[in-house]
Amino acid sequence: MLQRGEPWKNFPSECVDADERTPYPRLRDSPVLFCSMGFLPKNRMPVSESSITERLYECAILYAFPLSQKEEQDIQRGVERVFEDGKAKQVAKDIWGRRGLAYPIRGHAEGSFVIYHYEMDPSSVAEIDEALRLSPGVLRHLLIKPPKHYEVVRYSEQFDTWIKERKEHEEHKVSDEEENLKRKVAEKAKRQVARAKKEQVKTAEETSAPLEKAKLAEELEKLISDDELNL
Amino acid sequence: MRKRSDQQRSDPRRKKCPFCEKNALYIDYKDYPLLKPYTDYFGNIRQRYYTGTCLKHQKMLRTAIERARFLGMLAYRK
Repeated sequence: MLQRGEPWKNFPSECVDADERTPYPRLRDSPVLFCSMGFLPKNRMPVSESSITERLYECAILYAFPLSQKEEQDIQRGVERVFEDGKAKQVAKDIWGRRGLAYPIRGHAEGSFVIYHYEMDPSSVAEIDEALRLSPGVLRHLLIKPPKHYEVVRYSEQFDTWIKERKEHEEHKVSDEEENLKRKVAEKAKRQVARAKKEQVKTAEETSAPLEKAKLAEELEKLISDDELNL
Repeated sequence: MRKRSDQQRSDPRRKKCPFCEKNALYIDYKDYPLLKPYTDYFGNIRQRYYTGTCLKHQKMLRTAIERARFLGMLAYRK
């Protein structure tokens, strides 16, 4: 038996370049080839597939939006029947309704989503996936296994609240912009008034200044013309 | 011996992972408002360098965005 780590030590030296008649098995034929190099798996998977009976799965269905109620119900019923045939237990159903698509799928610009949560046997997943692929009216479907400790969240409500918040935010934005504009206009008007006042004062000073100059000149002339002064 | 934290350069501008702060275990492909800001105008996934997401969460984000793209919630490209 080969040991882990140093398999070559266990080979007898005369067998290194042996021909086919030698009794010991060649390394290539050895079933423990990969294990001998130190890759021996310590813990093999203890749980076999058959022991798991129920597991949570999540399924998203997309179908075209402008449909009559009857057609929508037919599609949903068809999908549910597929799951019932696979002996699945429905946990939750979330109808999102109308959603715009990011790119046209089979010529449809809008679609509506339904999210199902089912508990079912992992072995029947492949059949259900194939059946969903073939089911009429379904544009896209996605069947995935959510991670451990996954809690079912209703995203339809979250999406609605998000859209509302966004609308409110945009309205706020618009109103804020208007307020900003008003404030700016008011400030500009104030500045203009202040400037006008300054200009008035300046003009008044300018008009008053020449008068004083004229007075000064007159007094100077008087002084100059005064002959009595002896300097 | 010096501690490892002393050796690492602490940069105050270094971005923090927005998902690690919330201790996110899973990023859902159905959460459109969450995924939208992680794609750019052309529909590409924003790089870690710009968003500051850690590698673990970037990988989760990638699967989520790819699933959302398949279902037509997000665009492959504009």
